[in-house]
Amino acid sequence: MTLSHYLALSGMLFTLGLFGVLTRRNVIGILMSIELMLNAANINFVAFNRFLYPGQYQGQATVVFIITLAAAEVVVGLALVMAIYKNIKSVYVENYNIMKG
Amino acid sequence: MTETLIFYMLSAVILLSALGVVLLPGVMHSALCLGLCLAGVAGIFASLGADFIFAAQILVYVGGIAVLILFVVLLAGSASDLVTRQINDSWLPSLFICAAFLWSFLKVTVYFSGIAASTLPVPAVKFIAAALLGDYAVPFELISLVLLASMTGAVLFGRRKAQ
Repeated sequence: MTLSHYLALSGMLFTLGLFGVLTRRNVIGILMSIELMLNAANINFVAFNRFLYPGQYQGQATVVFIITLAAAEVVVGLALVMAIYKNIKSVYVENYNIMKG
Repeated sequence: MTETLIFYMLSAVILLSALGVVLLPGVMHSALCLGLCLAGVAGIFASLGADFIFAAQILVYVGGIAVLILFVVLLAGSASDLVTRQINDSWLPSLFICAAFLWSFLKVTVYFSGIAASTLPVPAVKFIAAALLGDYAVPFELISLVLLASMTGAVLFGRRKAQ
């Protein structure tokens, strides 16, 4: 297994997540696709740490921070989704135009 | 040989379930696929020798985030979601954008071909702990502040309006 295998895997995972963010109508689906993109970045961090800097652990420490931030992001995002859903009764992003002036 | 087999099996699980997350019409099915995909990524971390990240991925992502998303899927949504279209009108331009991204990613990958691991992985928990309480002490404290702020924000957005 070489580094390029892991990079190709994470590139494909990121692209799938990007496609989900661009095309899904459901806001929960968009949040899930963002999680996919974050995971692709994490794979890159750990793979570069393993193959280019063996014996150092800064990449893995960064991944700990990213996982924590992703958890915080998804908690606030889902709370916002629920708050909006209580008002609008829809999960589709075309209907989320309440901030229009 | 075994390593190669494990890598390709995990890759197949990750990519197929990610495809399910993106393309399945039911959000419930997407959320279940997301859990599978995150577990596959945890397996990739294990195959890279990152033992602490593997455990954190299982605990936080599979045990926390996927379950949280499942809860919200159950709370928000209606029966008509299963028959309405889940893909928006701009899927064709999105496909071109994603193809461009994938092409450039795979071009970059070529620069790193042939780099194999020279050492065997060692348990990393001790070194990550030293990094978190040494070089990364300030971000480590800041991240606890971020967690507190996000918890407060979730409670604030989630409560009922005062009459």
